[in-house]
Amino acid sequence: MPAPIVITGIGIITPLGDDPHSVLGRITHGDCAAGVPEDFSTEAFACPLCARVQGFRAQDHIREPKLARLMNRDAQFAVAAARLALEDAQLIVGKTYLPEKIGVYGAAGMAGLPLAEVLPLLRASVSAIGEFDPARFGREGLRTVNPLLSFKILGNMPLCFVSICENLRGPNAIYTPWEGQGARAIEAGVESLLAGDAECALVGGCDVKTHELAFIGLQQEGCFRSWTETGAGPVPGEGAAFLLLETEARANARGARIHARLDSFALRTRRPTDTTADICCALWQGLRLRGPLAAVVTAANGAPALEQAERQAMADHGIRPAVTLAPKKHTGDLFAGAATLQLALAAVLAAHSKGRVLSHCLGHGSEQAAFLVSPP
Amino acid sequence: MNHRVVITGIGLTSPVGRGREECWQNLLAGASGVGPITLFDARALPVRIGGEVKGLDTSPVLSAFPSVAAEKDRKILLGLDAALQAVADARISPTALAAASVHVGVSLETFFLEDAAPVAHSAGAALSVQVRDCGSSIRLQSPLDRLAELLGARWGLYGGRWTNCSACAAGAQAVGEAFRRLRAGACSVALAGAADSILHPLGLGGFGLLRILAPENEHPTRACRPFDAARQGTVLSEGAAFLVLETLEHARARGAAIVAEVIGFATTLDAFRVSDPAPDGEGAARSMCRAIADAGLSPEQIGAINAHGTGTPKNDAAEALAIGRVFGANARRIPVTANKSMTGHMIAASGAFEAAASALTLHTGWLPPTINLTHPDPLCDLDHVLGARRLYAGDTVLSNSFGFGGQNASLVFRRPPST
Repeated sequence: MPAPIVITGIGIITPLGDDPHSVLGRITHGDCAAGVPEDFSTEAFACPLCARVQGFRAQDHIREPKLARLMNRDAQFAVAAARLALEDAQLIVGKTYLPEKIGVYGAAGMAGLPLAEVLPLLRASVSAIGEFDPARFGREGLRTVNPLLSFKILGNMPLCFVSICENLRGPNAIYTPWEGQGARAIEAGVESLLAGDAECALVGGCDVKTHELAFIGLQQEGCFRSWTETGAGPVPGEGAAFLLLETEARANARGARIHARLDSFALRTRRPTDTTADICCALWQGLRLRGPLAAVVTAANGAPALEQAERQAMADHGIRPAVTLAPKKHTGDLFAGAATLQLALAAVLAAHSKGRVLSHCLGHGSEQAAFLVSPP
Repeated sequence: MNHRVVITGIGLTSPVGRGREECWQNLLAGASGVGPITLFDARALPVRIGGEVKGLDTSPVLSAFPSVAAEKDRKILLGLDAALQAVADARISPTALAAASVHVGVSLETFFLEDAAPVAHSAGAALSVQVRDCGSSIRLQSPLDRLAELLGARWGLYGGRWTNCSACAAGAQAVGEAFRRLRAGACSVALAGAADSILHPLGLGGFGLLRILAPENEHPTRACRPFDAARQGTVLSEGAAFLVLETLEHARARGAAIVAEVIGFATTLDAFRVSDPAPDGEGAARSMCRAIADAGLSPEQIGAINAHGTGTPKNDAAEALAIGRVFGANARRIPVTANKSMTGHMIAASGAFEAAASALTLHTGWLPPTINLTHPDPLCDLDHVLGARRLYAGDTVLSNSFGFGGQNASLVFRRPPST
């Protein structure tokens, strides 16, 4: 990269906790957050599990309770993770950097609205013969919803709430709905630093795929195909991850603690004929991957075919790291938040292992990515 | 090395018509696309007007994209229609297009109440069980990246796909991000635009609850009055706009007709409220300033403004104040036009549509009027294009898009370069 980019802040909210070091430890230890949801039946789904963040209290992270009530759970996670990332970076908005110089780039998932919030609306909008009745919807259905419902379903709200809660006013964008668009958000943050648009960039993603409506969407999108075919596959998760990126020169100038350096990244749009090996090879080529790796944060998500193909591709190319980590098998798949979580854990791992770490973001959707980080 | 970036194709599917020429002539004529809602029975809603795309002929879309034959999400159909037009307008070969990146702006998922309500109503089994039992005939939602994926697959575009969901700023951001990548040399061609349709019960009903819609059911064509003292809100509408953008050298090498040049782009955040713009217009002003600086210009070199101009009391006042902050004493000498007075607010698609209108202003030398603006708000004291279209001999246009939640985007366009 034209100027070295470093990670100086990490904030995560995951089903295995919110401290990156202890989450890494729990993953290494083999802990898994997956469980059977108690509030909806998974009878109709090929996947019987989800991974939830336990004990999350929005008021512990969001100073204005009124604002927290406007947020969906994904936005609450985003605000909490962003706060943790800024605290971790010891960044004081307005002092370390002007609010106008802090870029914010994020990704959010689909189906953020829990079914419980829309069921009363749906049930109040049906005619006697069981059809949707626009008149009843207007007269009765609308009365059942929060007037600010629209702000819960607009895709950009997680990013906007982060900006409002932290007074961040710089360049920005938000993408949706899969892991690859989360990688695009990281890319956009890096580009804003390299172009001089921002002096630091808060990049991240959030998602909540642990409710019935999200499961319906995932099933219809084919995300549970592996479960149908093999009885194993990705476990939908929830959470958020944010990173603070700076140029190394700026980070050093302010005496920031550097978690890791982002050596390079690569993205590829999946072709119809692409195999996992094709994608991996293209990404490694894009990264100019050479020399030994201390660890790989793999894309393995519980789907046997993906895991085997990724492992085989690495073996074929002589990639034999001392450590491989498959966070998604432990935290669940955060989808729009997954790319940043993968990169966050790679950064922590690089610092622990004192070696370079490769992170794969091979998810649903067309955009596939890989990141290479090294210790500071 | 920075590359110059030009627009070589425009596709528009909107309440004021379909196709670049029809839309443009209607805009110049001051024709409103707003009317009573016909897409569904809206009689029980407090606001029953909107800017619908009338008589959408889906045959070109279904011919090119057979997989969407059963598609119920109108923004997909509108977006595909506009993208097909843009590619045809650019007269670009599939080979030249193949390395293009795809940048799509959207706002929110369509939630199919018509499908969901009956199954939710049934007693007994869980919703998911009923959805499963209904097979593929029921879809509750449509993923937001579907449009980008369909477009990418249709022409084999593997230069990267972005689905930007920055609400009302998404269309402008999609165009701006494509511009930035082309300028940096990351690609030579891009297909960028946006599509939206929230003219469904939940969209119109939900936005009605926010009390930002003009409740002028009896006079739909007069409902959207940007910058007018008596403005009462915006009008929801639907539509799509796509642009083919290329580096100048790529366009020249293939002999493409150039509509206009894109020269600047910036985004900012208000960090104020999700429901309102910052009343001092600070974030909006900064967006304009940064886009102008990105273009290598000073504010004195901006000749006209295509305003965000939604018609809500707070938005227009904040935008006018922001324009005053940026242009100072010159603010009252720069013609300002607000397309939403005719199109209504196409949410994500607005920014891309207005980018196209800004390009066409430079291409044709005409500024469309802001209709329904009969008594300009003293708080919005600008050189509005009142009554009828106005000749425009300037070289540049600034286009603003300011989204719910405080995301701002501005684009700067220049008259097409001579040979």
